Amino acid sequence: MTVTEGERARLAIRLVEAVNATATGTTVLVPLHHPDEVDIVDQWCRRTDNSVLAIHDEAVEVYRGRLSDPSSSLPADRMPGSRLWMYTNFHCNLACDYCCVSSSPQTDPRSLSVETVRRAVNDGIAAGVRELYLTGGEPFMHPDLAEIVDICTSAAPTVMLTNGMLFRGSRRKTLDAMPRENLILQISLDSPTPDLHDLHRGAGSWQRAVDGITTARSMGFHVRLAATLAAGAPHEEAALNALCERLDLRPSDTVVRRIAKQGVATRGVVISRGTVVPEVCLTASGIYWHPVSATDDDMRVTTDLFPLDKAIDAIRTEFLDYRRKGDMLAAAFPCA
Amino acid sequence: MQPVLVGAVAYTANVVPIWEGIREYFQGSEVEMDFVLYSNYERQVEALLAGHIDMAWNTNLAYVRTVGRTNGECRVLAMRDSDLVFQTVFVARNGSDYKTLTDLKGSRVALGSRDSGQARILPQKFLADAGLADGDVQLLTFDSDVGKHGDTGRSELDALRAVLDDEADVAALGITTWNQLTQAGDVGVEAVWTSPEYCHCNFTALPTLDEARAETWVSHLLEMDWDNPEHRQILEMEGLKKWVRPQLDGYASLFEAVKEQQIPDTW
Repeated sequence: MTVTEGERARLAIRLVEAVNATATGTTVLVPLHHPDEVDIVDQWCRRTDNSVLAIHDEAVEVYRGRLSDPSSSLPADRMPGSRLWMYTNFHCNLACDYCCVSSSPQTDPRSLSVETVRRAVNDGIAAGVRELYLTGGEPFMHPDLAEIVDICTSAAPTVMLTNGMLFRGSRRKTLDAMPRENLILQISLDSPTPDLHDLHRGAGSWQRAVDGITTARSMGFHVRLAATLAAGAPHEEAALNALCERLDLRPSDTVVRRIAKQGVATRGVVISRGTVVPEVCLTASGIYWHPVSATDDDMRVTTDLFPLDKAIDAIRTEFLDYRRKGDMLAAAFPCA
Repeated sequence: MQPVLVGAVAYTANVVPIWEGIREYFQGSEVEMDFVLYSNYERQVEALLAGHIDMAWNTNLAYVRTVGRTNGECRVLAMRDSDLVFQTVFVARNGSDYKTLTDLKGSRVALGSRDSGQARILPQKFLADAGLADGDVQLLTFDSDVGKHGDTGRSELDALRAVLDDEADVAALGITTWNQLTQAGDVGVEAVWTSPEYCHCNFTALPTLDEARAETWVSHLLEMDWDNPEHRQILEMEGLKKWVRPQLDGYASLFEAVKEQQIPDTW
């Protein structure tokens, strides 16, 4: 330690003077005269129930008071790193006009190999992942889907997103061979009647999705219905619940989400790292902040798929930092 | 019952959330409260005497002056537990070899604001009580926050800087400032003498405040609970663990000092 006692005393004076003049819940910059003084500031803050918010080149930003735990407002199953999403592939039998990753029959598949999925699942579970999500594109267009589902469901509860339209021929056999335990099929159905669904997804697609739900239910799968709605579109909850009942689904097995302005969607909810709770998402092109933005370069955390635990840590750290600053801004707002 | 109006001095930005928190705590109680902030203790005491406020959150010097101005008729309603055990610490560079106040004869002593009980008035009394007459020590004084009665701690930090700059050998600090400083580790200065405990702040009221109203308010104040997270947030900011009934013996040394130093009731 190269900070002398005299320098330490002067730093202590600067700290006491600056922090005492600062209101609880706000921050103050305390100038540093030596890089090693950071440790002293940190020690002083911990002992006096204040907090180091950020370290700059020549100053430390001190928050007067204790920072609230930024993760305390999130349930454990929503903490970044609890869920791992994997885009098995990006190509799809449909070309929905709001697809957040621009999937279509012509899209480059960018498929994950079985070995990549196996490693991601192993590394993810070791890093604290508790739920797995498979999505695309349309996962049933992946030639090795059966093996991928087997790897996932053997490791953790797994949800697979599908449009439910391909449960025929060999793919029906693939579906039938999948485990009923630890697997939920989340099938997209945007509206209780065909009009809205077919408007976005193509004529006849609503009926084929309903047929897919019926097929999966008849095979004994746990099916969840997912509706994607434009901003401001009515939820039609009662009609959806009635449809669920008809299709032998529980009303609680309904997921309603809004269109995000991603992929081919020209309108929708704007997504950024600072405003969306991350759900770690692995694609062939890298690790992304959230599956709804898996082709958005700004939302790509790294192009390296492994080590996965480092990417999860980085996402969690960045998220907690956003959350901490968000809490502080919210607290500071009434003073403006 | 009518809400009581409490005066407080805005010596730091934290004063606003503290008193808003206390006001919120009293909302819905039998006697609610509001507060008025003053820029210095003299304004606050004048406002109390003029009847603009029902009670004043006073420093020890502001209380002593109010006693003087009311011929002893004002009364104290409550204090912080921390107000009962305030102390002054004389500090010097490590290894300075001072053991008692009498060892300070011939040294340079840095003191804080002239209206600070802990940093100026009482230290001068402690020196005098130790037999150090005028001229036995060379006083270096810092009137850096006059009007706030030393609440900001600024004049104490200035006094300590003088020791570090070798302009003084010893500085007198309030115990709160000293404890804050030492949380940074060994700061190269050490306590050479620590005073007996004395009293600091209190809620001072005039006899005109209805006793039942005052008692109802104080009873509710005393119910603030350190184990209640909402109360604790306020208590921590104001520097106490619990509110207590007044114990006035601890003001004796300041009354004596004010008399000995012929400090007037008005500034």
